[in-house]
Amino acid sequence: MSAVLEFPVRPEARPYVEAFAESAGEPQWLCDLRRRSLNRFAELGFPSRRSESWRYFDLQPLERAPLTRAVPASVDAMPSQSGLREGRAMLRLLDGRGISAFSGELPDGIWFYPTRRAIGERPGLVRETMLSDGDVGRPFAALNAALFADGFVLDVAPGAALDAPVQVTHFASAGGAAHTRNLINLGERSRATIIETYAGDGRYWRNDVVMARLGPGAQLTRILLVEEAPAAIHTALFDARLATDARLDGFGLVLDGSRVRQEWNVCLAGTGARCRLDAAFVVSGSDAANIVTAVDHAAPGGRTRELIKGVAAGGGHGAFQGRIVVREHAQKSDAHQLSRNLMLGRRAVIDTKPELEILADDVKCSHGASVGDLDAAALFYLKSRGIPVEAARRMLVEGFLREAADGVADAALRAYLLQRLSERLGRLEDAE
Amino acid sequence: MLEIENLHARLAGGGREILKGIDLGVAAGEVHAIMGPNGSGKSTLAAVLAGRDGYEVTQGGVHYQGRDLLAMPADERAREGLFLAFQYPVEIPGVNNTYFLRAAVNAGRRHRGEAELDAGQFLRLVRAKLKLLDIGDDLLQRPVNVGFSGGEKKRNEIFQMAMLEPKLAILDETDSGLDIDALRIVAKGVNELRSPERAIVMITHYQRLLDYVEPDHVHVLQDGRIVRSGDKFLASELEQVGYGDIRASGSATGME
Repeated sequence: MSAVLEFPVRPEARPYVEAFAESAGEPQWLCDLRRRSLNRFAELGFPSRRSESWRYFDLQPLERAPLTRAVPASVDAMPSQSGLREGRAMLRLLDGRGISAFSGELPDGIWFYPTRRAIGERPGLVRETMLSDGDVGRPFAALNAALFADGFVLDVAPGAALDAPVQVTHFASAGGAAHTRNLINLGERSRATIIETYAGDGRYWRNDVVMARLGPGAQLTRILLVEEAPAAIHTALFDARLATDARLDGFGLVLDGSRVRQEWNVCLAGTGARCRLDAAFVVSGSDAANIVTAVDHAAPGGRTRELIKGVAAGGGHGAFQGRIVVREHAQKSDAHQLSRNLMLGRRAVIDTKPELEILADDVKCSHGASVGDLDAAALFYLKSRGIPVEAARRMLVEGFLREAADGVADAALRAYLLQRLSERLGRLEDAE
Repeated sequence: MLEIENLHARLAGGGREILKGIDLGVAAGEVHAIMGPNGSGKSTLAAVLAGRDGYEVTQGGVHYQGRDLLAMPADERAREGLFLAFQYPVEIPGVNNTYFLRAAVNAGRRHRGEAELDAGQFLRLVRAKLKLLDIGDDLLQRPVNVGFSGGEKKRNEIFQMAMLEPKLAILDETDSGLDIDALRIVAKGVNELRSPERAIVMITHYQRLLDYVEPDHVHVLQDGRIVRSGDKFLASELEQVGYGDIRASGSATGME
């Protein structure tokens, strides 16, 4: 299909351009968007490691062996259930496509279905959000727009409240690439909690985009659990825009995958909007994990809290890049960012890079970053109580990371996440 | 139970000696108080006995229950029944106090070939010990020592001691900086532990704790050596004449 292009295609983009195929039966605006996005990607190619935001992420594996669109496997490939409680509304995506509607009931005013269905049933919302240009300058987001097969849409009517969390389970089984395009739309003063989990088998590339739009006074809690296959590449973009007094609480737990990049962009567009972005990552073997955040204080009175905790063991490479911009008129902004890391072992690498750009004069902004080994005094304290040294080390590592999950208000969800974390650290011990 | 012979120690990597030949024997059933001014080596002695990194024994040795104590790693010493109540308990963010304590109790039980306690059994033991010491359960669900007041930290040390039921408890200035209520809890913890099978060593700067826990033996540590040993009356003598004169004033209770 390279006939659609009238300019030189970047070499690494070529396999993807060739794999592009028109999706039958889509509205014209979407066909146009896909073509425009493909052109953009063909022109840009892969993100350059010379660009600041990608400097810690190695795309060579993907350049050497391209992963184009996946052919969905049989539904049987999907594991029957994760450890989360049954009965909550759940949407399952296998190789990037919705495979079943959820069980359980949703309150009035909540619309929660695959993106494919939303294109027909929520055309205005989907179109407006997809055309809002969150992809500009982001090659993988553009590729996602060109190639996405499906995703989820959570649309919450003004004033509606979703008390029990909804769950999205991504699973990859067929190799290749899974591009998922998702949308969260919260009406004025509505409230919702969503947990998204990512897992799979084999070598694949997951490229996920979530757009979130929060109306005035809306509250979104978003929790991520990344447990990709050992050979998987995972790139994800979360793009959120918060209206006046809206509130976003985000927590990401990154535990597995050979290359994982989670990028969160939050625009505090309305006065008094608040966001909390917390994350914990564990990286070992020769794996890399990359958390990239950018918060734009575009209106007065915004508040940001970030706590990112990382553990790198073996030859693992963890990186955090956190950018906070306070615009000239965004007075009374209040932002605090903290990046704390443990480096276990001589081959482990941690990069942490806070970046504050403050253009207003009446603001409270601070950041901190630390990289270190386990606290020797704490280790001795545990040993002095009879706890064997390996168990003591693990207890400290786990305690260190657990703190990042303190902001997860739902006790059952937090317990589940901490149990996954504990299980992962058990494997870390075996591997080192 | 504990035999310290001509123990010399300094900070690892050289430097001057802090302990300059300590001799001390502690038998089961005994309570010893080691008193001394700041800088006399009290805390170094506690650290060396508990196995803290950063110290180097240059001469002498320590036997505990007939074994070479200094050859054992710190965690093994603890599982063998040695307990150190810290002068400055360490804050451990993210580690729940109850979880930590259950791991410690079960590590000891495994070591002794006893079955581990499940959550229910452990909770019953916790309740029993809280009642015995007459303290509340407010600290149990918090991260270990995080945000605890000085008194709460010391109370937590004593509670851990009660839970672990050590054979030899060493209290490193557990009484310092405590108000009278906290001091009573510490004293109660020590008195409850007192038994013919156990030994207790209280390291302290002041006589205050000894008003509540009557020691069998009192030793004065000065400049890395035990300069006087005696019975409980030595402590009150110290209170009157101070550390400066105690060495010179050889009284009837003198060296053993």
